[in-house]
Amino acid sequence: MKKERLSEAIITHIILIAVSFIFFFPVLWLVLASFSASGSIYDYEGFFPKSYSLSTYIKLFSDTQMYDYPSWLRNTLFIAVFSCVLSTVLVILTAYTMSRFRFKMRKTLMKSTLVLSMFPSFMGMTAVYLIMINFNLINNLWSLILVYSAGAPMGYLVQKGYFDTISNSIYEAARIDGASNPTIFWKVTMPLSKPILVYTALTSFAWPWSDFILPNMLLKNRDLWTVAVGLTHLGETEFSRFAAGAIFIAVPIVILYFSLSRFLVAGVSDGAVKQ
Amino acid sequence: MKSNNIKTKCSYLVMGLGQFLYGQRIKGLLYMAVLVSYLWYLFTAGISDITGFFTLGTVEGDPWLGTAGDDSIIMMLRGILSFLILIAVVVFYLSNIKDIKNTEKLVEQGKPVPGFYAALLSFVDKKFYVVALFFPVIGVAVFNVLPIIFMILIAFTNYGGDIVPPKLVDWIGFGNFKQILSLSGIKETFVRILGWNIVWAVLATAINYFGGLFLALLLNKKCVKGKTFWRAFPILAYAVPGFITLLGFKFMFSYGGPINFYLKAFGLQAVGFLDIDAGWKARIIGLLVNAWISIPTSMLLATGILSNMNNELYEAASLDGAGRWKQFTKLTLPFVVFSTTPTLITSFVGNFNNFGVFYFLRGGLYLDDYFLASDTDLLINWLYNLSIDNNYYGIGAAVSLIIFIITSVISLTAYVNSSAFKKEDTFR
Amino acid sequence: MKCINKAISLLLITSMCLGLTACGNGSSKAAEAESGDGVITLRILENDTAKAEGYLDELINAFNEAYKDKGIVAVDANMDEYSNLAENGPYGYGPDVLYQANDKLMTYAEDKHILAINKEDFECSQYIPDEAWDAFAISVDGKQYTCAVPVNVQEPMLFYRKDMLPDNWEADWDKDGDSTPDFLQNWSSLYQYSQQIYSSSNGEKYGLVAACNDLYMMAEFMFSYGGYVFGKDGNGVLNSEDIGFGKGASAKGMLGLRQFAGVMNEECIDDSIGQNRYSKVADGTYFCSISTPDTYVLFHDRLADVYKEEGLSEAEASDKATENLGMIELPRTMPADGNLSENGDTVDTVVMGGVNGYGISAYTEHREACIEFVNFATSKEMIKKRAEILGIAPTRSDVAEEIGGVTEMIFGSLNEGHIALMPSIKAVDQIWDPMRTLLSDVAKDAFRENKGEAVKYADEASMQEALDKASQSIYDAIYTLSN
Repeated sequence: MKKERLSEAIITHIILIAVSFIFFFPVLWLVLASFSASGSIYDYEGFFPKSYSLSTYIKLFSDTQMYDYPSWLRNTLFIAVFSCVLSTVLVILTAYTMSRFRFKMRKTLMKSTLVLSMFPSFMGMTAVYLIMINFNLINNLWSLILVYSAGAPMGYLVQKGYFDTISNSIYEAARIDGASNPTIFWKVTMPLSKPILVYTALTSFAWPWSDFILPNMLLKNRDLWTVAVGLTHLGETEFSRFAAGAIFIAVPIVILYFSLSRFLVAGVSDGAVKQ
Repeated sequence: MKSNNIKTKCSYLVMGLGQFLYGQRIKGLLYMAVLVSYLWYLFTAGISDITGFFTLGTVEGDPWLGTAGDDSIIMMLRGILSFLILIAVVVFYLSNIKDIKNTEKLVEQGKPVPGFYAALLSFVDKKFYVVALFFPVIGVAVFNVLPIIFMILIAFTNYGGDIVPPKLVDWIGFGNFKQILSLSGIKETFVRILGWNIVWAVLATAINYFGGLFLALLLNKKCVKGKTFWRAFPILAYAVPGFITLLGFKFMFSYGGPINFYLKAFGLQAVGFLDIDAGWKARIIGLLVNAWISIPTSMLLATGILSNMNNELYEAASLDGAGRWKQFTKLTLPFVVFSTTPTLITSFVGNFNNFGVFYFLRGGLYLDDYFLASDTDLLINWLYNLSIDNNYYGIGAAVSLIIFIITSVISLTAYVNSSAFKKEDTFR
Repeated sequence: MKCINKAISLLLITSMCLGLTACGNGSSKAAEAESGDGVITLRILENDTAKAEGYLDELINAFNEAYKDKGIVAVDANMDEYSNLAENGPYGYGPDVLYQANDKLMTYAEDKHILAINKEDFECSQYIPDEAWDAFAISVDGKQYTCAVPVNVQEPMLFYRKDMLPDNWEADWDKDGDSTPDFLQNWSSLYQYSQQIYSSSNGEKYGLVAACNDLYMMAEFMFSYGGYVFGKDGNGVLNSEDIGFGKGASAKGMLGLRQFAGVMNEECIDDSIGQNRYSKVADGTYFCSISTPDTYVLFHDRLADVYKEEGLSEAEASDKATENLGMIELPRTMPADGNLSENGDTVDTVVMGGVNGYGISAYTEHREACIEFVNFATSKEMIKKRAEILGIAPTRSDVAEEIGGVTEMIFGSLNEGHIALMPSIKAVDQIWDPMRTLLSDVAKDAFRENKGEAVKYADEASMQEALDKASQSIYDAIYTLSN
C-alpha cells in the first residue's frame, strides 16, 4: 500500500514537472527575450538571444518620447482595477440572483444572454464606437471601464454554476431568522463565495489588461493608450521591448494571484479530504 | 378599473399622478419625473431620432464644401436608442399601473398606504432580483443588445463598399441575403468553414475543459505539496496577454524561428508549420496553442468548484468503503460536470467565435476554393475578412446574422437540454 | 475576507491616484488643443520614423518659431500613424494635416475626407515633377483635382555589404566593364552570384534573400514583363475592373521569382525575412536584401552593433557601418524570358513605388493655416532637413539635385518610368492579401521538390493560371459583393 502511494506520488510529480515546464518555457523565453541586447527576435541562436543586457528595461521606462510605457501602464491599471471592481459586483449580483430566485422572466433572460453571447463581438464594435462618440467619451478611460463592466454580466454562467451548488438550507435558515434578501446576500452568500469571487476578480481584471481591440478603437491619443495597444504599435525590430512590456504587465496578475490564492482554495483547506 | 376611482384613472393618464393623490408623494413625484423627462427627451431629440431611423438621412454632406450632411449610421444608432428608451418607459408605465392597482386594493381594504421608505425596503426585499438585475440589464442593453440590434439592422442596408459616410445609406430589405445566396463561391466557402469551425469548437472545448479539470484534480491530490507553487506556472501563462503569446508562438513556428532552427541544426528539412500548405498541421498547432492559453483559466475554475464540494460526502463515502476511483466517478465527476455545464457552453461559444488564434497565427491568406478565406479560418475570421478587411459591412452583417442563427439554435438546444438547466437544484 | 478587502482597497487607492493624474493629463491636453484665445492649433500627423528620428520635433519647432506672430501653433497629433481619418475625422478626432503614402491618402480623397488643393498655393509645386503630382490626382464628376502635396518617393532598394564583394569582381563580375559589379545591375547576374555564394559556402551563406511574399518588394517580377495593378481607360482614369497582374509576360517573370527563391532559404516564404533581414545582412549570412529606403537606419544600426561587438568604439563602428553598407536601386535589367540562369535578352526593371505626401483633412477648421503649414513643411529647407535626417528621396528636384547620389537616382527613376506608382484608388486595399498568398505559394514551390511534394508551378501555363486566379480573387474582393 505504501509503495503504491510512493510510486503514485512520483508519477504525479513527474507529470507536474512536465506540465509546469510546458507552461513555463514560453514565459521564460519571453523573459530572456526581454533581456536580449539586440531588438529583434529573429537573430537568436535557436530559442535564446546571443547576448543579454538590461538596456531594454531602462529604455522601456526612460525613452518615452515615442513609446510612453509608464503612461500606458498607468492607464491600463486604472481601467483594469475599476472594471474589475464593477464587473465583479455586477457579475456576482447577476449570477446570485439567477441562481437563487425564481421569477417570471428568468428562463427567458437566461436563454437570451446565451444567444446574445453567440454574436461575434467585433461586428458590434462599430456601434460601440458610435455610442461613445454620441456620448462624447472618445479618448476617455471611463468609456472602456463602462463597456467592460457593462458587458461582464453576460458571462455570469460560471458564477451561477457555483452558486447552484450552495445548499438551499443555509438560505432558509437565514430567512427563518428574519434576514431580508439584501442581508442574506451580504452576510450569508458573500462569505461563502470567496473562491468564485477571486476567480471573477482575477478574470475580470485580466480581460481589460490584455484586450486591445476596444481600447485601440476608443483611445486615440498615444499617451492614453493601454499597454496592449501600445505594444501592438511597436516597431518591428523592437521585440525585446515588446517582451519587456509584456513581462511587466504580467507581474500584477501574478501578484494578484499569489495574494488571493488562499481564497481560491478556501474550501479545500477547511476540511481536507479524509481517506 | 372600477369607476369609483378617479385617482387610479389619473395614473393611467399621467404616470405617478394617482400615487401622488393617494398620498404616496415621493413615489408619485418620481414616476412623474420619469414621464416629464421622457417628454422632454421626445420633443428635444426623440421625434427626430425616430424619423431619422426610417429615413436614414436625406441630406448628403460634402466635406470639401464644408456642408454637414446627415450621418446615416449615427441616425440609425440614435433611432435604436430612442426605441430602447421607449421600451424602458413602457416598462415603467406598466409597473406604475400595477402599483396603482395594489394601492387601490389596499385603500379599498382600508389598510394604510405604506410610506416611501417602507415601500422601498419591502420592494428591495421582496423583489430583490429586480434591484439586483437593474444595472446589469441596463448595461447589457446599451452595450451588448444595442450593438447587436445595430448589426442586425445593418444586414438590411447597403452600408459598405462605396457607400460609406458621407454618402447616405439606405434600407434595401433582403438584398444582401439574396446576393449571398446567388453567389456560388460564398455558399461553398460557408459550408467548408462551418464544418471546420464546428470541429474546432468541439475539439478546443474538450481539450481545454478536460485539460483544466485534469490539472485541477492533479493539484488537488493529497500527495502534492506546495500547491500554490505548482499552480503558479499555469498562472504565469495566464498572466501574459493572449495576443503576445500568439505572436510568440507564431514566431516559434515560423521558418526563421527556433523550432526550424533546431530542425535544420539536426540536418532535417525546415517544416512550414503555418505556411500555405500547412492545412492540418496549422490546425493542430492552433488547437495546442489555444489549449496553452485557455487551460489555466479552466484550471482556476475547476479548482474553485472542487473547493466548494461538500466534504462530508467524501467522508461518508470513505466510511462506506468506497474506493477512490468510485469516489471520483460517483461523486467528483457528476458534481464538477453539473456545475460546469454552463461553462462548457460558454466556452464552446467562446471557442466557436475564437478570433485571435488564427488571425495572429495565420492571418491574411486567401486560398483557392475559399472565397476570401483560408482553410484554418473560422467563420469569425472570414467575417472579419469580409467586413473589415474588404469593407462589406452589410454583407458581413448578413453573413454574421446567418451564422448567429445557426449557432444560437445549436447552443440553445444544448443548453436547454442540459441537466444544469433542467435540474438546477440537483446539488442543493 | 479581510485580506481581500485590504488588497482591493489598496489597489483601488493606488489606481485612484494614478487615475486622477491620468485624467488630469488627459483633460489638460484636450484643453490645450481647443485653446480659445484666438490661437489656431494645428494637429499634425507624421509617420513614426519622423517622430523617432526627431524630425517632427524640428519641423514643429521651426514652424512655431516662424509663425509665432501669426497666432498659428502646430502640435503633434499624438495618434497612431495609420489611424483612420474616415473614422476619426468626421467626429473631430482626426489630425488637421497628415503625412501618408499616396494609396492611403487617395483612399481618403475618394470619400472627400481630405481637401482638394490648388497646386499654385504651394511654393514647391514648380520643383515637383508631374509624375509625383499624378499620384495625388483624382477625377470627381469629370473634373480633375489634386488632393495632396508630394514629399518623397519610396521604392524597394537593394541593401548590400560593400565589404563582401568578391575580391575578383572586377575580373569575373564586370563583363560590361563599367566598374560596377554586374550583380548590382542585372537580376540574372545577381541570381548567378547568389547561387555561387550558396554552393561555395555549403548552404551556410546566401546572396540575395528577400521577402518573396511581399508584393511591394516583388512587383518587379510582374511589372517588368508587362504586368500592372489596374489598367487605365481611354481618359487615363484608373479602372479597377482591369486587374493586370497576369497581363503581358508576367508568368515568365514569376517563374524567374520561383527560380530565385530556390537560392534563398525558406525564410523568404513567411514574415521571418521581413524581420531578420537587418541582422542577417549585418552578420554576413546574407550578402544583400531588399527593403525600403526609410529602413536604412535599421540596417546601419544592426551592422554597427556587430562592429561594436568586435571591439570598435561607438563612433568607429558607426563610421565603418556607413562605409560598408550599400544602398542602391534594384538591378536595372531582368532576363526577357524570365530564365535567370541564362544571360540572354533583357527587359528594363520596373518596380512598384509610392509617393508620400501631405494631405489636409476636410474636417479641419483652419484651412488657410493648414495650407501655410504644408507650404512651410515642403519648403526647400525643411525637405532638405527631412532628407538628411530620414534618408528619404524628395520629390523636389532642387533638393534631389543638391543631395545627389542615390537620392537623385530615385528621383530620376520616377521621371524615367522605372517606378510604377501604387494606384491611387481605394480598390488598391484589396490587392495585398491575394497577392501575398500567391507570392508565398510561388516561393514555396521552389522548395517543394526537395521535400518530395508535388511541384505546382513547373511551366508558364500553370503560372499563368495561378496569376489569373489571384486576379479573379482580387476582382471578387472588389466587386462581387458590391451593390
